[in-house]
Amino acid sequence: MSEIFEKLSTAVLEGDAEKTHKLVERGLKQGLSPKEILDNGLIVGMDEVGSRFKRGDMFVPEVLMSADSMAAGMEILRPLLVESGVEMLGKVVMGTVKGDLHDIGKNLVSMLCEGAGFEIIDIGFNAGPEKFIEAIKQHQPQVVGMSAMLTTTMRAMGQTIKAIEEAGLRDRVKIMVGGAPVDRDFANTIGADGYGSNAPSGADLAKQLVGAA
Amino acid sequence: MTSAQGSPLVVIACQVFQSLIEKYLPEGMAEQVTFKDYGLHRVPSKLTWSVQEEIDNIEDPSLIMLGYGLCGNGLKGIKSREHTLLIPRTDDCIAVLLGSYKKYIQEFDATPGTYYLTKGWLESGSNPLQEYHECVAKYGEKDATWIMDQQYQNYERIAFVAHNQEDLEKYRPQAKEVAEYCKRWGMRYEEILGSDIYVRRLIEIASSPTKTDADFLVIPPGGEVTQEMFMR
Repeated sequence: MSEIFEKLSTAVLEGDAEKTHKLVERGLKQGLSPKEILDNGLIVGMDEVGSRFKRGDMFVPEVLMSADSMAAGMEILRPLLVESGVEMLGKVVMGTVKGDLHDIGKNLVSMLCEGAGFEIIDIGFNAGPEKFIEAIKQHQPQVVGMSAMLTTTMRAMGQTIKAIEEAGLRDRVKIMVGGAPVDRDFANTIGADGYGSNAPSGADLAKQLVGAA
Repeated sequence: MTSAQGSPLVVIACQVFQSLIEKYLPEGMAEQVTFKDYGLHRVPSKLTWSVQEEIDNIEDPSLIMLGYGLCGNGLKGIKSREHTLLIPRTDDCIAVLLGSYKKYIQEFDATPGTYYLTKGWLESGSNPLQEYHECVAKYGEKDATWIMDQQYQNYERIAFVAHNQEDLEKYRPQAKEVAEYCKRWGMRYEEILGSDIYVRRLIEIASSPTKTDADFLVIPPGGEVTQEMFMR
């Protein structure tokens, strides 16, 4: 059994979408559950991608190819996960903050949160505080995820949290932040509820924030 | 030669500033000048240990002028040891090349989705067109196009920053070639005449550190660079 998981995580790590697709199908045929395939195969691969990227052993193009492979696997798993009645954990509003148009990380976290059982409300990139506030009012999410890829734009995260506070909505949501320049200290300073150092840990964090992990 | 502070001056800077620093740094003012590879900022942790290694190799207590911004946290965690560090208080090289933090923020607020090209970046081959060619060689055209689209489709402008008419004209064909490729994402091409004032002030403060102001960071011996220091 563990052999197929290992092959799957390697396929994701190597960014081989076709292979990932085939292996997910094979796993299902062998009777593995969609959740097992996701958690022990795809996510294990993506975790390693996150670590290698941070160390500088992998670059953005490779990470993208891996994300695409993950997506190829998710395409098969998503309907099955819903069907198999994986507990729906709640809603997550996701966006990159004002001034930041780098949405690769945000999209990846969204995909992984979806896989974990969240409904994603994606407010896109360069989203000003008002856009976050509007989405919170409209969709009443449990979690809000913000991403920033530049030190110039990470300041906007603090400003957005402040605006959410001023709008009287802060205690209705848990806020998680992430992105290349962000770290735990910064997350604490701006009053976020949590920080994810890479995409899989972002999805784990969302689960923790709703008390599901 | 020594700085006015009495300690020798050592310059450690990114190659992107080489021509500006060489132009304004008086001969003999610095005991040692090292320009480091452009590409280090791509992996901030490598920038950190590489600059730290340079600092650790300096024997006599010195005033070290670092030609870097925070650079994606590349400078975060740098320890001054027994030296004093002087650093431009900017996110990255763009503010320095534009002449001020204010100018950078103005440009940023006007068009956040700007990809900056400079003489240095063009020379080192760090631009979307070059990246595309590298990706084609590795992944083939279809995947390379997809990879590039994922990274750059949200950008609106490609701005070439040069410091004089001569550089502008010399590098324009290359900049325009990159800009032509970037049109696929609807990016418009603009030229911005940069300013050398930030570099000149950096050198001036290196010779009289008491003149420092909010645009610079002075880290005393035993200190450490933090992210908060750059926030303003």
